[in-house]
Order: sequence, then structure tokens, then C-alpha cells
Amino acid sequence: MKASGFPYVIPMLVLSVAFFATPLAVLIGYSFFGSQGASLENYGRFFGDAFNFHVLINTARLGLETVIGTTILGVPIALFYWHGGRNARQVIIFLTLIPMLTSNVVRTFAWIVILGRQGPISEALMALGLTGSPISLMFTELGLVMAMCQIDLPLIILPLIAILSRTSVQFTEAAQVSGAGPWRILLTVLLPMILPGLLAGWILVFASTSSSFVTQAVIGGARNVYVPQLIYREVGTLFDWPMASAIAVVLLLSTGLLLVAMAMISRHRRLIGHA
Amino acid sequence: MTDLQITRRHFGMLAAGAAAAATLPFAARAAGETAIAATFPGNWEDGYRTVLTPLVKEAGYDLTIAPALAQDQLAKIMASPGNPPYDTLLMSPGQMAVAIDNDLIEKIDPSKLKNWDKLDASFQGEYGPTVTIEVNGIAYNPDLVPRPKGYRDLFENPAYKGLVSWTGFDSNTAVMAYTEIAKIYGSGPEDMDAVFKLFKDHPEQLRGVVDSTNHQMTLFQQGEIAVFMCSTGNVARLKSLGLKAEYVAPETGSPAAPVNIHLTKGAKNVDAAYAYMDAAISKAAQDKLKMPPTEMFPTNKDVELTPGIEAYVTRDQLSSMVYPDWAMINKHRSDWIRQFDELVAG
Repeated sequence: MKASGFPYVIPMLVLSVAFFATPLAVLIGYSFFGSQGASLENYGRFFGDAFNFHVLINTARLGLETVIGTTILGVPIALFYWHGGRNARQVIIFLTLIPMLTSNVVRTFAWIVILGRQGPISEALMALGLTGSPISLMFTELGLVMAMCQIDLPLIILPLIAILSRTSVQFTEAAQVSGAGPWRILLTVLLPMILPGLLAGWILVFASTSSSFVTQAVIGGARNVYVPQLIYREVGTLFDWPMASAIAVVLLLSTGLLLVAMAMISRHRRLIGHA
Repeated sequence: MTDLQITRRHFGMLAAGAAAAATLPFAARAAGETAIAATFPGNWEDGYRTVLTPLVKEAGYDLTIAPALAQDQLAKIMASPGNPPYDTLLMSPGQMAVAIDNDLIEKIDPSKLKNWDKLDASFQGEYGPTVTIEVNGIAYNPDLVPRPKGYRDLFENPAYKGLVSWTGFDSNTAVMAYTEIAKIYGSGPEDMDAVFKLFKDHPEQLRGVVDSTNHQMTLFQQGEIAVFMCSTGNVARLKSLGLKAEYVAPETGSPAAPVNIHLTKGAKNVDAAYAYMDAAISKAAQDKLKMPPTEMFPTNKDVELTPGIEAYVTRDQLSSMVYPDWAMINKHRSDWIRQFDELVAG
């Protein structure tokens, strides 16, 4: 029997308890501080306001739209990496990692230029005759999703590349020889293989998008209100920390539920296949 | 690819280095002669760091300028009761009221300030000196829109349609503008329903609502917006960047807010904090800070106004500025924020 590895995980456990579990417990505890002592008052106030549901749904929708967008963009790039030669792979890795070395704030402000009235999108649409006057995608959900897709794209490409690097191209060749068409190969051979990578990417992208305060605030403007802005306001403007904690717990739970749902769907027998 | 090799000795040295680096901020503070001064980001931060640091050093102390918006200063002070991250705060009366209510700042001892007598009585607050007056109004791009006369123009003149940007009630600049608009379209500064109705009747005005004046400055630079509610300092900053920006004092009067330095309760470097306060109200400092790009209105009586500042406001006009009732604003603020959010989100 192998020796127990428990002593080796003690440092990690200590760090996790000290810097993750304890602050989380404090946050949850704080959310029950009401005007009359410990109560569910803050949760009552949050769920008693229909506007907050609207904000929660907005936040979840933004996360899901970005997950869909990054999947549509990321899977072909990962497959190109898989089929590519050494040089192509290096270029893809380089182009994927380089944006990650710049701050989210810098990338967000770059998107202001891209989405603006005088930006390349507006110029291109005018050059193609699709619009007669400059258009701005600033303060729109479409503009925000476009920016979030670019910012979070590496988060889905890297797990996919990690999975595909350990997978032989011969699987798809075998399916081709057996007479399967491209769509069938994609859905019955490739998808089950890359699903763990996709799931990891979805979780990262969804969590990153739904908590991306700066990009939401700058690109989305004030017309598109998301949960992080509510939390920031409760802390920084209204100084109501218990309420901010309650909203943060709600965000944590709702995000967690969606991620569990994603995990359950991705583990469906029809998807992963069964021998 | 080669595996990363690391010996125990190297690991130990790395760990020791990391531990030493982690203690640096504490080591810096342990010197005990450095004032940690919270200052607004941007122009204020640059100006104060450049101008005040040498003056405080002359007095025998060091100065660390920590950029933070007034609301963030309050949030950080509240987050660490008894161990404040700043020795001094910089804020307007709206936040000062919150700080006093929460016992975060203390009354100062004017005898420790050599330049105290150089201030008018109205600038000698018991909770700290007024270092400048922020005069608010309307910023516009003369290449894109005509000069507005006041707030009414922005809603009623089609030339501004889709080119005006507003912020929510989190921003002091915005709140001051909205209380003025409430006087024009409603029964008084508290009648915010009149303002909300005005926005409902002009939905195009809601398109350019953003989170903060800082975002508006960025959008103004990009030509995305042509008008926003501003302080004279915002316009001075835009001009210093070579941008076409002009300031308009609304015909109904310019809302104004004194900006004060406060001594944080439990400040660890009190003497250094007083040295910093004294430097901020000195003639030497205000003579420099009145120049572009900061163009701060000097509160020291010995400092002459520049033509640039006099174009915005003169000393005689200070009394005719509009000074909002911050107690009333703070009472309603959370409700206004929520109502405006719902209105903007549709």
C-alpha cells in the first residue's frame, strides 16, 4: 500500500483555510448583520427589489453570451493548433499568451477606441456602405460581449490546447476512414474528447466575465448594470458593507449554481459517450 | 522543453527574498516620519506629489501620496478601524459629513499650522483647512457643439442630442448638477422626481450615462461625447492634454465644493501630517498649483489669481457660488442612486 500523501498537502490546506475559507466565512457572516442584529434582513432587501433580479439575470446573461462567443472563436483556434505544425503552434501560443501579459484595464481601454465612433468597426461599416453615419458600440451589450470575448479568449483556448496536445489526430482520421462526415466527427469524436477542456474554459470565462468590474463599467456604461457594480456601490458610495456582503454571497451562489449546471450537462452520457 | 530545476538553497533564498519584500511597506512606515496622504487620482496626485513633497521634506518629514477617490478613502478607513491606512484624507463636505458621523476624522490644532492665518475664515475649518474650491459647471467640445448657456440648453437644444454624458448619483459632480436641475425643473434641490421625469422625457440623454467623471474624460478624448458635467480642474486637465475643451459656468450659478484636508482619527504620523497640511496651504505651494495643468483656486490670501482662474471664478464671486446642502443630499442619496439606476437600465 502506498504511503499517505497527507503531510504534503498540509501547507496548501493551511494557505487555503487562511486566505480563502476564512475570508469567505467572514464575508458570509457579515452578510447576516442587520440593523437589529443577526438576521436575513439584507437578503430580504436584495430579493425584495425586482431591479436586483434584473441585474442578476443581466450578469448571468453576459457570462453565458461570453461563454458562447469564446467557444465559437476558441474551438477553431484550438483545432488549428492541433492540426498545425511546430511553427503554427508557436505562433498560436504566442498570440494567445501575449494579451494575457497586458492588464485587463489596458485591454479594456483599447476597446474604447475599437468600439468608438471613429474606431475601425465604425469606419469599416461606413466603407462597406452598411451605415451612412458613424456608429458607436460603446455602452451596448454587444460591444461589451465583443470586448469580453477578446479579453477572456485565452481562458478557453489554453485548456483546449492542453487537452488536444495529449490527443492523437488519428482518432479523427479513423472516423473519416469509417465514413463519418465532418459534423459527425465533430459531434461524436472531437466534442467528447475536448469536453473536459471546454468545461474548464467555460468555468473560467463565466467566472471572469461575471466579476469583471472594470470592463463592465467602462464599456457597458451605466445603462448595463451588473452585480459587481452593485457591490462596489454598496461598499464605496453607500458604505453598507453587510448589504454588499449579501450581494456578493448571492453572486457567488448563483454563479456556482450555473457552473454546477454546466458541469452536469457536460457529463451527460449522450455527450461523453459510453462504451 | 527542459524541466525547471531548483535547489533547496535557491528555494530558501527565494522564500527569504519574498518574505523581505512583503515586509517593505511596514518597514517604510516604521520610520514614523512619513505622512501618508490620500489624494484624488490624476491632476491632484501629480500636482501634490511634485509640489508638496519637497516642501514637506524641508520641514523634516517625508510624504507619500496615495491616490484614491474620496468615497474610496472613506471605504478604506472604515475597513480598518483603529489602524487607518492614511494619516490625512482629502474630501469635500459630502464625504466630510460621513467621516464626522462615523468618527473617522478629528478636529485639528491650528496652532501647528504656520500658514493658518493666511486663510480666510471660511477656509479655516475645525476639521482641517480648505486647500481649494472645486468650481463645477459644464465642459464642452467647441468643435462639436455650440457653447451651452446652462443645464436647460442640454435638454432643449437639439444640437446636443446624443452628445451629452451624465453619471449616476455616486458622483459628487453629478449630484451637484442634478440638484441644480431640480431647482430649474422642479420645486427645489430636493425635487429629484422632476429630474427623473426630465430624463424620461428625453431618453436620448440616457444613452451616454457612464459610471464616473474619469470615464467621461476618456470618452471626451475619444470624441465619443461632447458635453459632460465637470469641475474646472477637469477642463484644465483636458486642455493640458491638447484637447479642445471649454468650461461654462451655468447661467443659474456654478455649484462649488470646498476641498479640505482632514486628520484621520488614529493617524500614526501626526506631526508629518501637520507639516503636509501646512505645505498645502502655503504660498509656495499654491503659487505653483494655481498654474496649468492643475489650476487650483488658491485659498491662501497672499496668492494672486491667474487670468486663467479668474476666467472661471474670482475671489469676489466665491460667495455667489452655489454650495449644496450635503446633509440633505446624503439623506436621499441611496434612494436617488436606486431610482436613477432603474431609470437608466430601462
